[in-house]
Amino acid sequence: MARFIARRVVQLALVLLAVTFVAFSALNFLGDPLVNIVGPLAAIDYCDEVEAGLREDSFTSINNSRGDCEIIGEVKAEFGLDKPLAQRYFTWLGNIITGDFGTSFQTQLPVSEIIAQKLPKSLMLMAMAQIIALAVAIPVGVYSAYRAGRAVDRATSVASFGLLSIPNFALGVIVLQFFTLRNQWLPASFDDTSFFTRVHSLFLPATVLGLGIAATYQRLLRTDLLTTLQEDFVHMARAKGMTDRHIMTRHVLRPSLFSLITVFGVSTGALIGGSLVIEGIFSIPGIGSEIVTAVIRDDFPVVLGSVVVIASGFVVINFFVDLFYTWLDPRVRAS
Amino acid sequence: MSDLQLTVEDLYVRFPTSRGTVEAVNGVTFTLEKGQMLGIVGESGSGKSVTAKTLMNLLPRTAEVDGNITFEGEDVRAVAKERRKHFWGVKMTMVFQDPMTSLNPVKRCGEQITETLRYHLGDTNATAKNKAVDLLEQVGVPEPSKRVDQYPHELSGGLRQRVVIAMALACEPSLLIADEPTTAVDVTVQKRLLDLLDGLRRDRGMSMILITHDLGVARGRCDDVAVMYGGRLVERAPTETLFADSRHPYTEALLRTIPRIDQPIHTRLEPIAGRPPELIDPAEECAFALRCRYAQPDCLEAIPPVGGVKGQHEFACFHPANTARGRQALDANLAAGQTVTGLQIQAAAGMN
Repeated sequence: MARFIARRVVQLALVLLAVTFVAFSALNFLGDPLVNIVGPLAAIDYCDEVEAGLREDSFTSINNSRGDCEIIGEVKAEFGLDKPLAQRYFTWLGNIITGDFGTSFQTQLPVSEIIAQKLPKSLMLMAMAQIIALAVAIPVGVYSAYRAGRAVDRATSVASFGLLSIPNFALGVIVLQFFTLRNQWLPASFDDTSFFTRVHSLFLPATVLGLGIAATYQRLLRTDLLTTLQEDFVHMARAKGMTDRHIMTRHVLRPSLFSLITVFGVSTGALIGGSLVIEGIFSIPGIGSEIVTAVIRDDFPVVLGSVVVIASGFVVINFFVDLFYTWLDPRVRAS
Repeated sequence: MSDLQLTVEDLYVRFPTSRGTVEAVNGVTFTLEKGQMLGIVGESGSGKSVTAKTLMNLLPRTAEVDGNITFEGEDVRAVAKERRKHFWGVKMTMVFQDPMTSLNPVKRCGEQITETLRYHLGDTNATAKNKAVDLLEQVGVPEPSKRVDQYPHELSGGLRQRVVIAMALACEPSLLIADEPTTAVDVTVQKRLLDLLDGLRRDRGMSMILITHDLGVARGRCDDVAVMYGGRLVERAPTETLFADSRHPYTEALLRTIPRIDQPIHTRLEPIAGRPPELIDPAEECAFALRCRYAQPDCLEAIPPVGGVKGQHEFACFHPANTARGRQALDANLAAGQTVTGLQIQAAAGMN
């Protein structure tokens, strides 16, 4: 078991290294960071030519006597942009590890502060959505598999296909309209006053998110349960005279959780980055909307910082999912 | 004659499917005395497992069941609601074919034994665990106190089947149904498991139904053997009578598929020609007629009823083997070179 965990931790580190490197280089290739700091491309091309000795630096700024290229050079040095990509990556990685995510180009605030402020809201939304999804999907899935083909099962099938086919912005808008605008049962926007107000104001968006996920979980769980129900050990348990309830919860459920927790890992990972649409509809200042703003404004440090946090979260969640497999099935431990 | 423990009368089991109704069991009648061991022999699809599952109340909800099953004076198909909880698994239990799949892979062996004890007998965890260790010891599992904490995948096939048997015996049932208990394990283990089951049965005065497709397994252990074909019971007799003086042509054909030690080596075993009968909407004729060397026109006109001596040697055939009527039918078919159904036959070596 210790070896298993050690191996997974090494894998985890390698995945994180690869993800951050790809994200870092992609952002550097897709746009020159310098442009975002000093302005239009023409000046940079011009200065490259000056540097190469192809022409004289004939421009000076109006207010001081320094040439534009001099300023660009200073900026390059300040941000380390004169160094090769690999070197810049490792410098950046070193900073990240020590908790320095850099400073937003846009707001001049430390990226770590921005993330610390936005991420918990998205995480809370995610956690509540997953709790709601599991709380709905597991009992409903178990019951519909137990009564497969009967009225309740058919009704839940229709309901879950309905939930799967309604995009969450549509459901979000409908729910918002009904529960907050028409009836004022629940708050329409995020309230950061206390833990209780946070839970209270996130309940509606979390339910909208959670129901969509619950539908997927319910389908997966039902299918896996029906497969497990065909197993001989289920007949054996029946022959031993165990109750249906005991058989469903003690014999059948556990070996049927594999697809569900796999998708749980993936959807949790996806939701760490926040749900942009739901955050938008319910005015939650989470990380999702922050990333979109940062991408549009080419705010590299914010984008990179968020990518690192989200990717790490994704990888860590899936590490725990892998650990959970071994708890579910002792045979995984042996192999 | 000792007491009857189990009576099955006119049992019909049907499964409606989209292609038609599968007639899995058609009017099966048999009895089992206390402490007796009955072998039910037949090929796949002959209805033997469905019969067992009917007794155990394990059929899917779609199954249509008709007939009477009485176990220790109680109507099995109408057990009172409050008695149902502790009926199957306590008085009557079952062991399945494949020990690899009949244990839950994610539960420790011990837990799978103790759950019955805790539920049916209300034992505490500690008592149940002690009993589980005892049971494992009784079924010949070495180091039982270590095994209770192991998972099924850590045990060999033979050991797993022993664990399954321990599980089934936990609440001291008076009837054990073993559905091909040794088919999935290798031959050396097979004999040991059968001897174990036989010994346990004798020690506990338990009755047993041994379901198998292998007549050799039934021989020497079962008091009586019932042969099933196409959902019907075609012959039933005390084991030695069945082997020495079989009446139904299917039993006779089955016996010829077993190698015998008293025959010269290299004696050819004879396969049974043709395919197993269609169970969906079968015709009103003897199900074996198409494959039968004795088949006569009357075999295609009606289903032969169960005849012979009731309680002694029963069989369902118009032209039984080892009788004058049968010999006559066979001779006529041999002379023609084929039967009424067009089955090509010739005199075989070693048959009379």
